[in-house]
Amino acid sequence: MRPPRLLLAALLFALAATVRAEERSVALAVAEHGFAPPEIEAAAGERLRLEVTNQTAAAIEFESFELNRERVVPPGQTVAVYVSGLSPGRYEFFDDFHQERRGALVVK
Amino acid sequence: MIETLLIMWRESLEAALIVGILLTYLARSGERAGMRYVWAGALGAVVAAVAMGLASNGAAARLGPDAQELLQAGVLLLAVGVLSWMVVWMHRNARQMGGDLRRRADRALATGRLVGLAAIAFVAVFREGVEAVLFLWGVVVQRADASAPVLLAAGVAGAGLAVATAWLFFRGFAFLNLQTFFRVTGILLLLVAAGLLTAGVNKLIGLGYLSPIKPQVWNTAWLLREDSLLGALLGALIGYRSRPSLLEVLAFLAYLPAMGWALHRADLAARGAAEQAPARSAA
Repeated sequence: MRPPRLLLAALLFALAATVRAEERSVALAVAEHGFAPPEIEAAAGERLRLEVTNQTAAAIEFESFELNRERVVPPGQTVAVYVSGLSPGRYEFFDDFHQERRGALVVK
Repeated sequence: MIETLLIMWRESLEAALIVGILLTYLARSGERAGMRYVWAGALGAVVAAVAMGLASNGAAARLGPDAQELLQAGVLLLAVGVLSWMVVWMHRNARQMGGDLRRRADRALATGRLVGLAAIAFVAVFREGVEAVLFLWGVVVQRADASAPVLLAAGVAGAGLAVATAWLFFRGFAFLNLQTFFRVTGILLLLVAAGLLTAGVNKLIGLGYLSPIKPQVWNTAWLLREDSLLGALLGALIGYRSRPSLLEVLAFLAYLPAMGWALHRADLAARGAAEQAPARSAA
């Protein structure tokens, strides 16, 4: 059982050692009609803190296969979703619980 | 309605598969007491998830959503530890008992292991259960008309379908002979644990505590999408993602040889015990 513990310790160490790079906060609201704004722009390599606020009366799930992120947001609450080090491209996201709501992060 | 059913199927699949693999393993090894604990853990988690889901729906949630996510990541890593410990024990068990089913049924499991089994089932079901409850609650809130009960029923049917999927999946294991069965479930459990580990790491990256090192090591979306049937199944079972970050890949890859080493040590210990046993009976 020692190796998993070792791994855990290594992970905790990595956690502590993570360099807190400069970050930029971006507000992303989820309303009945969809994401606002529907498109976010970012620079390549930039560290973003997406503040996803659920303005609807029902839970939503912010999800993106491209960004490899998935967060349920209860109604009226805000969650932070970090993304960093992205190469230029278009990264789509959607509300998994209401899939007609879609948006994208455009990295230039 | 179909969408509600599909979402609930996906949300419940991982829990159903993890509980399914534990029950399948225990049923095959004749550990009835263990099965009861797994069921107790799973059912307890359903009750807890309903309570928690409804509580966090109101503004009354004590913990902020990010603190809850961090807690989830911690619980996931803890579950990896407990699961790893169970796999080592199961491995030793399978080795020592050979094919003697009756003796196996007679032997009681130690309380710690029973609690471990219940804990894994609890974590697996609770994690997805809270999200499922939040989703279903939203469905009810959005349709304050007569269609709400129908959608709710569709959601519950989706969860039932996930259980059926897991059942069908593990039915296939019944055809394996005992030795192959233990080997296959053992390897599968290791992959499940590695998947849970990467899920925990993914949460910590998303919360900004860990760096992904490189956000997208590869992209296998052309081969297998997460929203396909097989992609969802593999995602639920071993944490498949089409575009994993480097740190997640490293965590997955580091876990397997570490466990291989732990199992090897268990083998050595078992061999040592086997050599001592005849000596003792001769004395």
